[in-house]
Amino acid sequence: MKEEKSNGWLTIMLCIGAVIVIFPFLWTVLSAFKTPYEIIKIPPSFFPARLYWGGFQKVLFEAPFLLWMVNSLLVAVTTTVITMFTSALAGYIYAKFDFPGKRLSFLAILATLMVPFEVILISTYMVADKLGLLNSLAGLIVPAMVSAFGIFLCKQFIEAIPSDLVESGRVDGASELRIFFQIIVPEIRPVLSALAIFTFMGSWNNYLWPLVAINDMEKMTVPLALYYFNTAHVAQYNVVMAAATLIMIPVIIVYLIFQRQFIEGLAMTGIK
Amino acid sequence: MLSLILAFYNYSPLNPKPPFVGLQNFINLWSDQVFHKSFFNTLKFVAIAVSANLVLAVLIAVSINSIAKKFFKNFFRTLYFLPTIAPLVAVSLIWATMFDPNYGVVNMVLGLFGKHTMIYWLTSDRLALLSVVIVTLWADLGYNIVILMAGLDSIPKMFYEAARIDGANRFHTFWEITLPLLTRTLLFVSVMTVISYFQVFTQVQVMTNGGPDYSSEVLAFTIYKDAFRFMKMGYASAISVILLGVIMVVSVLQLKLGKADWEY
Repeated sequence: MKEEKSNGWLTIMLCIGAVIVIFPFLWTVLSAFKTPYEIIKIPPSFFPARLYWGGFQKVLFEAPFLLWMVNSLLVAVTTTVITMFTSALAGYIYAKFDFPGKRLSFLAILATLMVPFEVILISTYMVADKLGLLNSLAGLIVPAMVSAFGIFLCKQFIEAIPSDLVESGRVDGASELRIFFQIIVPEIRPVLSALAIFTFMGSWNNYLWPLVAINDMEKMTVPLALYYFNTAHVAQYNVVMAAATLIMIPVIIVYLIFQRQFIEGLAMTGIK
Repeated sequence: MLSLILAFYNYSPLNPKPPFVGLQNFINLWSDQVFHKSFFNTLKFVAIAVSANLVLAVLIAVSINSIAKKFFKNFFRTLYFLPTIAPLVAVSLIWATMFDPNYGVVNMVLGLFGKHTMIYWLTSDRLALLSVVIVTLWADLGYNIVILMAGLDSIPKMFYEAARIDGANRFHTFWEITLPLLTRTLLFVSVMTVISYFQVFTQVQVMTNGGPDYSSEVLAFTIYKDAFRFMKMGYASAISVILLGVIMVVSVLQLKLGKADWEY
């Protein structure tokens, strides 16, 4: 009896928390439908007096919003595919091969995990500048092609694959690349899909690097676009909220469809 | 590596031949008021946000885990993880409008509870950093909840059965069994959170711009500002080196303390 009661309290607290979690999403969508006048009304209203589509119109027709979506998609997909490939391949090499400098170079890779991006921001910027990558979509992809965490993760999982399996492939005369694609990759599919989800999200939501690397409007990605709306339409919060709604809805739909993979992937890998 | 070297130059993209200035950048930092504020704000932010994050995340994770119905358990976990999916820029912008003193919803809700004062969340030097903490927690808690729930699942059920036979109450069970056995996960989570909170940038840049009067200025934002607004890349690199140093020291300390805790 007593246990039931305390359980009830916990559930009530969780529900209050849930309201706090949901509320900003609701507020965004409702604000997006308000007129420019209503949104700066004092005191504020919660529900829009009537559905007003002007905010969405401004986002879609007065700015290259769809182009920004395409840019983001292009960068995120390319980054994800390349990162999966480099992580799995390097992970395979570190897990199943011996070569001079293996320990040292792997330690070096691990060490970079500790280094936050802000610390290497300036040097990355200068290297990208020298390579002529600034202000291009390639400039957003190239620095993100190799992930130290991905390599580490893949190595851990590939080490668990019995070496006999690899050996039998060699005996059968399969080439190394074939062994990689037909034996290793299928075995580590769960970890690769987790890596893919988080690389994609990381790229889609990335803000700081595009902020310094991209100048042209038509090369911006979605997070930059949002910031653009905020500075270009000062105090037109309905436009900003409409843009925020449009950006968040696809991500949330994807999340709701794949939420099990998201959560299990996170629990499995600790990706943050 | 390059940023380490850069820290010793007076590099600026406007100047093709950067002069070597030795330790001058670091010496200048020593007497730079903005850097001081930024440095201590960062420490303050990390201390407040990480401890609040860990306490809340453990409470929520344990609460969700105690729900018997699998459907509701998954429902709450999915829900609490939702904010981590949203782009941080969007989150920051949304909260900035919610924090608006005049037409923001936060003051409106507080008004419902009778506190009808105008609170200047983002423009008062006492609350700006706290507002950033609130937004960060809202946006980031889901990660730790999920990882901690996985940690809770790995605690063998027999410990709880033994406790129930001994007649331990809920609070006792939590304190004597759950927390000690969760130390490993907690250590991992806290190191990761500390490292990531030292990098707080987007919320500050979008919501407060470091202000008012540098009261929410943090190191990552100072680096960005010095390097890309004031074009003082060498100077900003020196700050990067210090940020890296602080993170290293704090992480190593955490791991040391965590280990001592774990072994006895």
